Amino acid sequence: MSDDDFRARARLWPKGNRFEDFGEGRVFDHHWGRTITAGDNAAFTTRTLSFCPLYFNEPYAQAQGHPRTVVNPLLVFNTVFGLTVEDLSEGGGPFLGVDKCHFLAPVYVGDTLTARSTVVSARESKGNAAMGIVAWHTQGFNQHGEQVIDYVRTNLVRKRRTAS
Amino acid sequence: MTYTALTGSDNYFENFRVGDVYRHARGKTVTEQDNVGITLQVLNTAEGHFNEDLMQKAGVGGRGWQERVVFGGVTIAIVIGLSMQDTGENAIAELSLDGIRLKSPVFHGDTLYAYTEVLGTEAATDRDDAGIVHFRHWGVNQRDDVVFEGERHVLIRRRPA
Repeated sequence: MSDDDFRARARLWPKGNRFEDFGEGRVFDHHWGRTITAGDNAAFTTRTLSFCPLYFNEPYAQAQGHPRTVVNPLLVFNTVFGLTVEDLSEGGGPFLGVDKCHFLAPVYVGDTLTARSTVVSARESKGNAAMGIVAWHTQGFNQHGEQVIDYVRTNLVRKRRTAS
Repeated sequence: MTYTALTGSDNYFENFRVGDVYRHARGKTVTEQDNVGITLQVLNTAEGHFNEDLMQKAGVGGRGWQERVVFGGVTIAIVIGLSMQDTGENAIAELSLDGIRLKSPVFHGDTLYAYTEVLGTEAATDRDDAGIVHFRHWGVNQRDDVVFEGERHVLIRRRPA
């Protein structure tokens, strides 16, 4: 029997990027995509007290000309944001803000969202030598390739640890 | 079903006057289910929102946080959600958000409240049954610290004839 400790033999399978990875203009086509189910939409909407019947009453939505229940735009934002995290911000650093977020087309229950981001700017942080400040332009699309959301996000992003 | 009977009568486009500031009824205590549930529902892979052990050991970001921090997208959704019955129940569409800033971290057990100011109103250019209202929202916690601020444009129905 081997006494090999699996922990000693393991190497970390790392995730995420660091400040140095965000050259201006670099494009990320993000992983996975996400089909928004009726359950997703109803749970998110009610849990956030987002009380507009477009997001939880299908005949009401249809009476306003929609084919199905409308997906809460804050869920569209959160889902597209979530799809971007491994590439953009899982490496660590707080989320500072979002600007110019436009909801370009309604999303319906059953639609599938995908995301793409472009590095807008990457600069040093004056107050924190271990971090930089990165801004990305993120676009979200439905399964027909129509863009449904557009925004700019800014984060503090950790730099690589240098050997010392 | 008469659809206009399903929503309030005091939150049509005509009800919003520039300079009005509202304190919205109801607060929401942010639970572990809210944060971890929504974070993972939307495939947000950042561990700081769902790995308590990491946060206790790391003091993440030199900020000394010793617990999971609530995903900012959840804070944004809850603060705007707390305002939604008043500022979006009769919405036709959410148009945009801008100047969204997360001013302080939110942790499990914090309670959020929402405030709104009407910054502007304008006619819709392509329809006469609705107008656009420009809001500024704030979210505060139980200590009255501002945790969120941001602006929002909503297309809201005019009062039915």
